[in-house]
Amino acid sequence: MSSPAPKSPEQTDKSKKYDRQLRLWGDHGQNLLENSKVCLINATALGTEILKSLILPGIGSFTIVDGEKVTEEDIGSNFFLESDSIGLSRAQVATQCLLEHNPDVRGDYIDESPEHVMSHTQDFFNKFTVVIATALPEKVLIPLSKYLWESNVPFVVCRSIGFLGYIRLQVKEHTVIEAHPDSENPDLRLLSPWRSLREHLESIDVALLDQKSRSHVPALVILFYYLTKYKELNGGLVPKTRQEKDILRKMIRDSPVADEGSIKLLEENFEEAIRYTNTCLAPPSIPHNVQAILDDDCCKNLTQNSPPFWIMCAALREFVECEETLPIKGSLPDMAADTTSYITLQQLYHRQAELQAEIIYRKASDIARDLGLPMDTITQNEVKMFCKHASELQVIRGSCIADEYERTRLDLSFYLEDPDSLMFYYVILRGLERFISEFNTYPGQFDDQVEPDVLKLKGIIGKLLSEWSCSQVLRDERVHEVCRYGGAEIHSVSAVLGGCAAHEVIKLITHQYKPLDNAFIYDAISSNSATFCL
Amino acid sequence: MNVPLKEAVATSKVLVVGSGGIGCEVLKNLALSGFKDIEIIDLDTIDVSNLNRQFLFRKEHVGKPKAVVARESILSYNPDINIKAYHDSITSQDYGLNFFKRFNIVLNALDNRAARNHVNRMCLAADVPLIESGTSGYSGQVELIKKGVTQCYECQPKPPQKTFPGCTIRNTPSEPVHCIVWAKHLFNQLFGEDDPDQDVSPDTEDPEAKIEGQEHTETESGNIKRASTRQWTQEIKYDPAQLFNKFFKNDIEYLLKMENLWKTRKPPVPLTWEQAASHEGDTAEEENNVKSQDMKVWSLSKCTKIFADTVGVLKEELAGKTFLVWDKDDKPAMDFVTACANIRAHIFTISTKSRFEIKSIAGNIIPAIATANAMIAGLVVLHAFRVLLQDYQKCPSIYLRQKSIHSKFVLAADKQIEQANPKCYVCSPQPFVNVFVNTQTMTVKEFETELLKKSLNMVAPDAILDGKGMVVISSEEGETEVNNDKKLNEIGIVDGSILKCDDFLQNYELTVAINHYEPQEKDDPLYKVVANPDELKAKESINGEKNGSEEKKEEESDEDDLMIVNELEDPQEGSSKRRKLNPPEDKDAEDDDLCVVES
Repeated sequence: MSSPAPKSPEQTDKSKKYDRQLRLWGDHGQNLLENSKVCLINATALGTEILKSLILPGIGSFTIVDGEKVTEEDIGSNFFLESDSIGLSRAQVATQCLLEHNPDVRGDYIDESPEHVMSHTQDFFNKFTVVIATALPEKVLIPLSKYLWESNVPFVVCRSIGFLGYIRLQVKEHTVIEAHPDSENPDLRLLSPWRSLREHLESIDVALLDQKSRSHVPALVILFYYLTKYKELNGGLVPKTRQEKDILRKMIRDSPVADEGSIKLLEENFEEAIRYTNTCLAPPSIPHNVQAILDDDCCKNLTQNSPPFWIMCAALREFVECEETLPIKGSLPDMAADTTSYITLQQLYHRQAELQAEIIYRKASDIARDLGLPMDTITQNEVKMFCKHASELQVIRGSCIADEYERTRLDLSFYLEDPDSLMFYYVILRGLERFISEFNTYPGQFDDQVEPDVLKLKGIIGKLLSEWSCSQVLRDERVHEVCRYGGAEIHSVSAVLGGCAAHEVIKLITHQYKPLDNAFIYDAISSNSATFCL
Repeated sequence: MNVPLKEAVATSKVLVVGSGGIGCEVLKNLALSGFKDIEIIDLDTIDVSNLNRQFLFRKEHVGKPKAVVARESILSYNPDINIKAYHDSITSQDYGLNFFKRFNIVLNALDNRAARNHVNRMCLAADVPLIESGTSGYSGQVELIKKGVTQCYECQPKPPQKTFPGCTIRNTPSEPVHCIVWAKHLFNQLFGEDDPDQDVSPDTEDPEAKIEGQEHTETESGNIKRASTRQWTQEIKYDPAQLFNKFFKNDIEYLLKMENLWKTRKPPVPLTWEQAASHEGDTAEEENNVKSQDMKVWSLSKCTKIFADTVGVLKEELAGKTFLVWDKDDKPAMDFVTACANIRAHIFTISTKSRFEIKSIAGNIIPAIATANAMIAGLVVLHAFRVLLQDYQKCPSIYLRQKSIHSKFVLAADKQIEQANPKCYVCSPQPFVNVFVNTQTMTVKEFETELLKKSLNMVAPDAILDGKGMVVISSEEGETEVNNDKKLNEIGIVDGSILKCDDFLQNYELTVAINHYEPQEKDDPLYKVVANPDELKAKESINGEKNGSEEKKEEESDEDDLMIVNELEDPQEGSSKRRKLNPPEDKDAEDDDLCVVES
């Protein structure tokens, strides 16, 4: 049985290969991944580590832009460069090595510097799903960040230097339908059942059921029955406080009628109904983050260029204005019940969800048509998915890296006063970048220049801090430390950072899970990391 | 890197245990950090589903030993590194104390608790620092274990693991997972290795089924028949209709006779082959299917057809072999389990599941991705640097939490290293543990396999009854075999007895205090292991954990609420599963975690 199973349409090689990750982001996430185009600027050790973790799960294609030639130092820290490739194009060698790791991924390279590509090929970078850059000098970073910001192409900027790592995500607007929240309550609408559900629930008189039928009734029916009883006794009010819910729970618990002579036993499904009182009696509400999205200008003022997400939001907005709730999720948790009653209930929820998704789909199609967009702008499946996750919607609006660099005031005092904050590394990194653009070398790159470089870097950092009107001074040993690295990359630090950056790229491509917002600093000496919003 | 570190790295000897998801990345990081002398051990061979993250392997390597291929891939990058590969189990007697003592550091990249426990003990005994790591989906963890400095892997009781009483599986399933476990057992009964703990027929010993003052009589469907299930199956030449009627009609009818079981439960409905094949009732569920066949919930008639088809295929596969090994990636085996689990679920009116979902549960699949492994493996090697410089205080445990949408800390390190638990029954100076067993019914052999090996994770234990100086269990073949079938009390092991146990391979001595104990409730474990008597009152959970031939579900899954979530406590990704193991018996994290507690 160890021989590979025969091929069959039900389980292709591809779905077998990707089985372990499909369980995290599903077929639709995988589809987006397989259709993505990723650009890597500079095939450093960090760069190839990021790309490796994207090629293995199966992005569609990648392009490496790198004008450098392979050096001995590269070979020492980069697994994806062969030892006999010194002097060859780094972009070419890395592309060939990386392609071996997944035959389903296409890859090519441009053996030119990114500034050359930017100035000679119009619109080169905006055809990608994501652009990743490592070791990018300020003078290219700033115009490229502006360009990608305008094109709304996510931009991931990373740096690995000695024991220090940095990732910065630039997204103008990123929307997430499946945020995968940590916990979720079932969406049952028992307080405000729609007509067909109410009629169904009301048709069963739980108190009249015989011993046998009692154990077949789904918990939901039981809960609704006693909720109705409770309301009758309490002037139509539903239980809100713990004490009130205790009364309802007691009603359910006391419901069994003693058998002749034997003891009262509470059936499994009644126990379940008691458990549901904890989570299923909250009135349906619209979460703040979702309301904010519905009130967003992008939702209110659609244009021909509005992406499907905002058109669906506008349709949802119309739906919410009329129904005052989000569409129902339509799934029913497992319950102890007989198949027929369970399926009847399941169908009721399922049909209601389909019905509401249909309404929203029609609204969305109308909106798209009114905007003059083609019929297939919005698909029915997309809307179904959107409705199911309506309570988790997220919109992330980041900031442009160029703005951050050109800003004259940067209020970091709050962080810099905290001795545990890793923000000082950000300041050092900014100093480092300015050092590189002024002197065209890393501080400490030449052994005999370490001390003078420390002084220069300290000077630059002091100037930056005063430009930003920060009164703090950085401790000398921290600047010394960075100069000691001399710009060298430590492979294991790049491995950690590469995994982290690749994961953020996957979040951006699949539009699932909430990405980092927006800068990440990793200190491999203390093994700590921090996230800052710049 | 400074000079002392460079030197330490270049002259150190490293053992990497496991060359799976984390192992591959660790090997690469070691090779690029200047390590020159590396040994790697892994028992498993390469599977297609490894290729989405284990980047040292490619499609043409499928079926080959992981350790060997990993070595070749690293050498093709740098031929100057000295790498030795073992395609073997780390728990084998070949890797004793002297083997471990040769290394400056051991890096674990394992996927199961039994091997982790074993390497933990070996490293404590050899006084070699160990870096333990694991991932599970988006989460992961790295931890240093160093004798006398940090806590050991077994210092803290691991979170309770889900166990299923045998009678729940055999008589009264109430969740899909119960039917899935049953279906895997059915596979083994019909095609696999015989295991009396995996009986699938009605359990007449079920305490709940007994009626006061009335002795049950064992009938054809009950326990008495179990030895001959396979034989009978062969006699009827694996006729699907007859098999179907036996398991889904006759056995269910027998269960219905155990009336006590159905007082508060909905009774199952026996199903005949003919009814099932022509069933049209629940097609509605198929309508809301998703695009992929794998995601679809099969109708009852489809399950029945697949049952018949796969019985035929598996019968052919069995021809000429003594038994088949169930494998979630083997199509007919997985189809068989999907069909049987759903048919049984239908009979007990439990919701049915898609093949994809059932595979997740039956195979105990842990989602695994390249990104989390890359991060954890990077952290492992960075810790290794500090360990080589004996900078242990700077090696706190580190946790990776990429998933949480609220957390701002993708990586979080403990403030300091964890101190050892003074009452740990592994790393304290005089290891001591209380066990609670029924000394009147448990045999010496059961005590050895269930308690000493499975629960206490010894590999080749010897046990001497204190006071009498009598050797009751010996790792030497033939020495104590006469004791095997005797009950504990027959050779003088009673409440209050003290056993001095010793595992030569692990260099581990443990004093075991015997407490007589009889399970009271249906769900009580057959026996218990308690390191600290205070825990008896405080922690009920330990009961569930230290159990007999139990069902272990060690992982978390992001998709299915049926999976038990042990967030980060026992991460699994590392090397691959362990198939043939010298003792202790395999507790394969991926495949074999679903088994049963007899009740």
